[in-house]
Amino acid sequence: MTDAASLAVEEIVAGYGGVQVLDRVSVSARTGTITAVLGANGAGKTTLLRAISGFVRPRHGRVLVGGTDLARRHPEDIARAGVAHVPEGQGVITELTVEENLRVGALARRDRAGRAAGLNDAYQRFPMLAERRRRAAGTLSGGERQILVIARALMAAPRVLLLDEPSLGLAPRMVAQVMDLIRQLRDDAGLTVLLVEQNARSALGIADKGLVLNLGKVVAEDDAATLAADVGLRRHYLGF
Amino acid sequence: MQEFLEFTLGGIAIGMIYAAIALSLVLIWRGTRVLNYSQGGMAMFTTYVAWVVISHTGNYWLGFVLALASGLVLGAILERTVVRPTEGKSPLNSVIVTIGLLIFLEGLAGIIYGGQYRSFPVAFSLKGLKLGGVALGISTSDLFTAGAVLAAALALALVFRYTAVGLRLRATAFRPDVARLLGVRIGRVLTLGWALAGLFGALAGVLVTPTTFLYPNSMDSIFVLGFTAAVIGGLDSPVGAVTGGVLLGVVLSYAGGYLGSDLVLVYGLVVLALVLMVRPTGLFSAAAARRV
Repeated sequence: MTDAASLAVEEIVAGYGGVQVLDRVSVSARTGTITAVLGANGAGKTTLLRAISGFVRPRHGRVLVGGTDLARRHPEDIARAGVAHVPEGQGVITELTVEENLRVGALARRDRAGRAAGLNDAYQRFPMLAERRRRAAGTLSGGERQILVIARALMAAPRVLLLDEPSLGLAPRMVAQVMDLIRQLRDDAGLTVLLVEQNARSALGIADKGLVLNLGKVVAEDDAATLAADVGLRRHYLGF
Repeated sequence: MQEFLEFTLGGIAIGMIYAAIALSLVLIWRGTRVLNYSQGGMAMFTTYVAWVVISHTGNYWLGFVLALASGLVLGAILERTVVRPTEGKSPLNSVIVTIGLLIFLEGLAGIIYGGQYRSFPVAFSLKGLKLGGVALGISTSDLFTAGAVLAAALALALVFRYTAVGLRLRATAFRPDVARLLGVRIGRVLTLGWALAGLFGALAGVLVTPTTFLYPNSMDSIFVLGFTAAVIGGLDSPVGAVTGGVLLGVVLSYAGGYLGSDLVLVYGLVVLALVLMVRPTGLFSAAAARRV
């Protein structure tokens, strides 16, 4: 099968300055799947996403998207290659309106028609954003902001979506909504999703596969259901 | 009353020059948090371009347009060559680099054109205008100055508000990290910001130089006042820059008119000190609101 949106991280070594955070981490995700990345604070989950999107330059290893190695390219070029990274919290540009935030997401797209269609799609999928299109993004609630940053990432028509703690700080009802949305994106749009979560139970609930990071190494990797059923793993690393 | 009218209108006219310099500083500050101390030197240099063209061809408008174009090019080249390497380093690096640029440009102008004062032509008459027998204290040339800066500022506002380029500029100014994540090539955006700043500086240069004469340091005091205007406006806000420029122009015009004109630059520094003491974020800065 053609696996145009597959993501393969091979033996990545990365860190900040002299501190190595990721120690030969590998991830393999097929097109149209959700992979949950779990682990405690400081395990290297966020650094893994930053290494894939180019904000941290890997010292070793490859990042293959649809078979092309993107490791060590600039973040803007990796974004243009179809990798959308939704960072944790604070991702909206509060000074711009909701619609302007969405339009920034489509700036890298070459086709004018696609940009307009993307905006329509976003408003259809998220009527809440359409109602607030002219408001400054800074006036949105935490849950609304999370919807906005995900909608904005979709504006670029990405192949791979990297989500960093999308449930952080959200009310339980909103968490369920966001998880539902991520599942829809996989099923409808065929996106390959890497989902970093503290909330392991919710993440494994929608994921196909999961992996657990501890101190920069992969300590477990399996089907989501198998991981969720592993009592020892849950007690040790996942906390539920 | 007659005096008051003259001082007010004259102050608005000169204030538009400060506004143009302030806008050029704001354009760079917003995108990069670099304060471009060489802005006055750049404007002086592009005014020499206009002076050379005008004295060779006798065509004011050709010189005017080429000065603006060379401002665009100079800004872009300087950003790509000398300023880019300071990015991500300590803010002190960019301060030293832009001050060094100022000294370099002024030295280079001295070597090429000499240090003597040159007169610089105006496009329109300097004769004072009257309305129903009342002297207004401004000339057609002042009207042109104010109109040119206003038109340029308005064009900039429209580009910011309604175009994809403007959206890139604003997104990069507010959140460069987020812009990069979304595939905006912020390197190009920063070059464009410097180019636009060069354009506004060049505009200020050709508009103010008829009143100051042209020499390698001719823009120094204008730069200080333009900087003051930018600080009054909050350094972050294009609207603030224009408002700050006009406010400063009017205040200094009153001070010069009623208190004596020898110390105008000193009054300007007093205004700067007062603003920094009372409201250091300026009157229009978004930073204050963001911190709340």
